[in-house]
Amino acid sequence: MSDFDFDIIWTTWPILRDATWISIKLFVLSLILATAIGLAVALMRMSKITPLRWFAAIYVWIFRGLPALVILFFAFFWLGNNLGLTPFQSAILGLGVSSGAYKAEIIRAGLLAVDRGQYEASEALGFTKVHYMRRIIIPQGIRVMVPNYVSNSTLLFKSTSLATVIGLNELTGRARQLANSTFQPIEILAAAGVIYLVFTSLMTLSQGFIERRFALKT
Amino acid sequence: MDVGFIIDIMPEILEGFSTTVRLFLWSMLFSTPLGLALALMRLSPLGPFRWVAGFYGWLVRGIPLILIMFYVFFALPEFGEAFLLSPFWSAVAALSVWTASYQAEAIRSGVLAVDQGQFEAAEALGMTKLHYMRRIVLPQSVRIIVPPFTGNAINTLKQTSLATVITVPEMSLLTTRIISREFNALEPLLALAIIYLALTTVLVFAQQGLERAFRLKA
Repeated sequence: MSDFDFDIIWTTWPILRDATWISIKLFVLSLILATAIGLAVALMRMSKITPLRWFAAIYVWIFRGLPALVILFFAFFWLGNNLGLTPFQSAILGLGVSSGAYKAEIIRAGLLAVDRGQYEASEALGFTKVHYMRRIIIPQGIRVMVPNYVSNSTLLFKSTSLATVIGLNELTGRARQLANSTFQPIEILAAAGVIYLVFTSLMTLSQGFIERRFALKT
Repeated sequence: MDVGFIIDIMPEILEGFSTTVRLFLWSMLFSTPLGLALALMRLSPLGPFRWVAGFYGWLVRGIPLILIMFYVFFALPEFGEAFLLSPFWSAVAALSVWTASYQAEAIRSGVLAVDQGQFEAAEALGMTKLHYMRRIVLPQSVRIIVPPFTGNAINTLKQTSLATVITVPEMSLLTTRIISREFNALEPLLALAIIYLALTTVLVFAQQGLERAFRLKA
């Protein structure tokens, strides 16, 4: 590959950089939505109220059973059209709802890993459920959730590329346009790949750091 | 919502069903041996093998699948006529490369979970590495590999929907065509979602059946 043309990457860099920003914003906002949905659905699945448990189980079954792309289509073609959402808002909604189903399972597994005695002791001490979940159980569950939560979030970062299908010019979509207009797909698409690799590698590396941050201090 | 319309539109979406299933089956066929080879390379005592397989996993799992599809479809042909693939085979190539990186991890962790004493005993009995991997270690690890392996397969089925970005006429692409023709998104999307949900639910049951079949008989 002696004729790999680095110049084209420098020339198009400002466009790629702006598109990367859109991907990052999309990632952060859909991660917040997914985490909120995931926590709510996980708590509902552990609820004593049967309809809530059913609702949560059906949520997880449907949204983990569907391709994220199909959920994005619902958010864009149907909800987006009816509610007047922009493609960016539709993408956040679609990615958040889809990823939320996976987050719910991760959060639930973390909460179930907390020793049964902690629940019983909190109840014996007269804590209300909201109180002890917030102060006793969730802080301990986080330790168990972190590895899966972070690797699932790396998946979400890559999934932001799906927004290209509903016409959002995030990194993947923009790189594809540039590849077409410059006739140099080898260089442009490789540059986009490197940008993704930098972020996904950073996230993987940060996992160890976050795990230590939440580790038991002895 | 018009239930009649959902039923009317379903045959047209199902015209893409065989394409979706063929994408899935070909990708599984190619990714399984590739994943096994990568897993064995990662476990090899030879440094270069381990590095190549480690690099492969880092690269492929660090980049969105859509970008891999774009690379295979738009960039590879620039390297020579031989790499000019149809949209269908480009999608199969991208899905296979992508799935193999996850299957390699599933297989590797399964092999590592086999008791160290089994490796030592096999070596003490004078078996060659090829021999004991094939006859002693891999058969025992299959039991551990089945759940993550089938989980990855279900993911691959869902990800075949991304072939829509390189114009493979699978179910998702046909559905977007119907949406733009009918100016109506809800019913076609519900029909598509029902088909995918049925497919993934059947696969989840198959996964549970496989797990039972491979369980240790006491």
